[in-house]
Amino acid sequence: MNPGVALAALVGVSVATAVIGFYGLRISRTTGDFYVASRTVRPWWNASAIGGEYLSAASFLGVAGLILLSGTDALWFPVGYTAGYLMLLLFVAAPLRRSGAYTIPDFTEARLDSLPVRKVTSLVVVLVGWLYIVPQLHGAALTIRITTGLPSWVGSVAVVIVVCLTVVAGGMRSITFVQAFQYWLKLTALAVPILFIILVLAGSGTPALAPPSVNPTGAPPAGLYQNVSLLVALLFGTLGLPHVLVRFYTNPDGQSARRTTLIVLGLLSVFYLFPTAYGLVGRMFAPGLATAGQADAMVLLLPGELVGGTAGDLLSALVVAGAFAAFLSTTSGLVVSLAGVISQDVLGAGVGSFRLAAVISAVVPLGFAFITDSFALAGSVGLVFAFTASTVCPVLLLGIWWRGLTDAGAIAGMLTGGVLCGGAMIAGALAGAASTPGWLAQPAAWTVPAAFAVMVIVSRATSQRIPKTMSKVMTRLHTPERPLATER
Amino acid sequence: MTRVRVTAPRTAARPAKETREAAQDSEVGQVFVRSLIRSQLRLALVVAAGFLLILCAFPLLLAAVPGLAETRVAGIPFAWLLLGAGIYPVIGLSAWLYIRTAARNEARYRDLAEDR
Repeated sequence: MNPGVALAALVGVSVATAVIGFYGLRISRTTGDFYVASRTVRPWWNASAIGGEYLSAASFLGVAGLILLSGTDALWFPVGYTAGYLMLLLFVAAPLRRSGAYTIPDFTEARLDSLPVRKVTSLVVVLVGWLYIVPQLHGAALTIRITTGLPSWVGSVAVVIVVCLTVVAGGMRSITFVQAFQYWLKLTALAVPILFIILVLAGSGTPALAPPSVNPTGAPPAGLYQNVSLLVALLFGTLGLPHVLVRFYTNPDGQSARRTTLIVLGLLSVFYLFPTAYGLVGRMFAPGLATAGQADAMVLLLPGELVGGTAGDLLSALVVAGAFAAFLSTTSGLVVSLAGVISQDVLGAGVGSFRLAAVISAVVPLGFAFITDSFALAGSVGLVFAFTASTVCPVLLLGIWWRGLTDAGAIAGMLTGGVLCGGAMIAGALAGAASTPGWLAQPAAWTVPAAFAVMVIVSRATSQRIPKTMSKVMTRLHTPERPLATER
Repeated sequence: MTRVRVTAPRTAARPAKETREAAQDSEVGQVFVRSLIRSQLRLALVVAAGFLLILCAFPLLLAAVPGLAETRVAGIPFAWLLLGAGIYPVIGLSAWLYIRTAARNEARYRDLAEDR
């Protein structure tokens, strides 16, 4: 494709992000009270922002790439990403909003009345955030290399710079507008090209090159264990993602947190139809894109491959813009929530330390991204979900629903899940994708139950440590706010 | 009970907090809170289980009926329609049912605990 057009798209989306960020910042200054302002964001804006932040490189590029490679097996990824939000709604959304906590460490500290729990949670959250940023940077590197021919590192560095600038300059409210804009940009950037491609294919009566049931690289179908373990990771991983929790704070009350989540579910459902369509069209009409070993770039290459000419270039530019919106929005969401944790727990309060923490949160994963290789984006994000499901998810679920949880149990469970899942990830990375057995490649099915079991058993054994504030906190989590606030 | 429209969330939050604190101070208040938590948890578990059952039923259906996965509907294999699009309305419906019932549970709690 034409490198100039791709570069123009990249610069365009970065500038638009910065402009909306600064404009939003001005609005938030004129309202006078920054924090109250951010808590009165309307559900539609807020839901768009959540969607914008959640749909990462894995969703935008990775899902279609995996569907191209492994067909209906990979359809569990978009289903799991969406159903994870259903679990979030059922078990976490309203209580978490009512807790008043801004970060996951805030929540665990308040619930268990313990500073050590806060420290361990912070450590886990920072690890999750960093692990999650790395695939975004890999996606950016891949996009830059494929579409402009520039060296890969330019992509990762560009994302880190834009994110640092917007986060350091802006605040919660301006980020909300940026993220909301980026959801609609991502949706348009996927929907318009694929609809155009389908119309062109249908109009010209092009025959399919391959049936959709055949894997282009001859990859064997995934086993039952793999699919089940993946679903466990995605269903339970979503509700522990740090950047997701911050967003719930911007709802005025618990019931509106639920309504926002319902809208998010609709937005995600609509979005995921399109990567699925790319995967299906790719399998039938461009199976050659899989064998090049760059399946993740399929979404970027398909318009040029099937449409071509100026129209193909313009559609490609749109897809590139959407892809960059995905890297930018997810990375900035993560950086904001990580910076909150790092500045509170390590550097001390204040705007200066928040800015320093933001830079640290973005630069460390850049180092990781340089020393690691990009493998399937959706797969590596799937592993981060497994890690979250084994660490943050048990402490959130048991903290919200079980009176018996203690600080000792929470710490033991998080460490068990973290060590088991982290160990499996490291072992898998060292062994290489080809020689990793299934139970190591998809560890969630055994690490999540192990973390829950240890958390419950240790809590039972240390039941004298149940905090005195427990019933007060449980009441706050579960009882509704005044009727006025919920019946608007 | 008269209702006054309050526009600023900060002023709305305060009486809410006082009522909630008052509700949990008494023994009876705690009974109501426990029963609310139990019914919300039961609701969440039932909706989750129902959704997961339907989710598992989809691939089982495809495996049980030979040829169904490859049947084309408007050029798209049925397996792709079912897993790639058909599951999302189920997710949305589960979410909607849950929200309605959860709000009803909370309304019942409010009637019991706060309007005594």
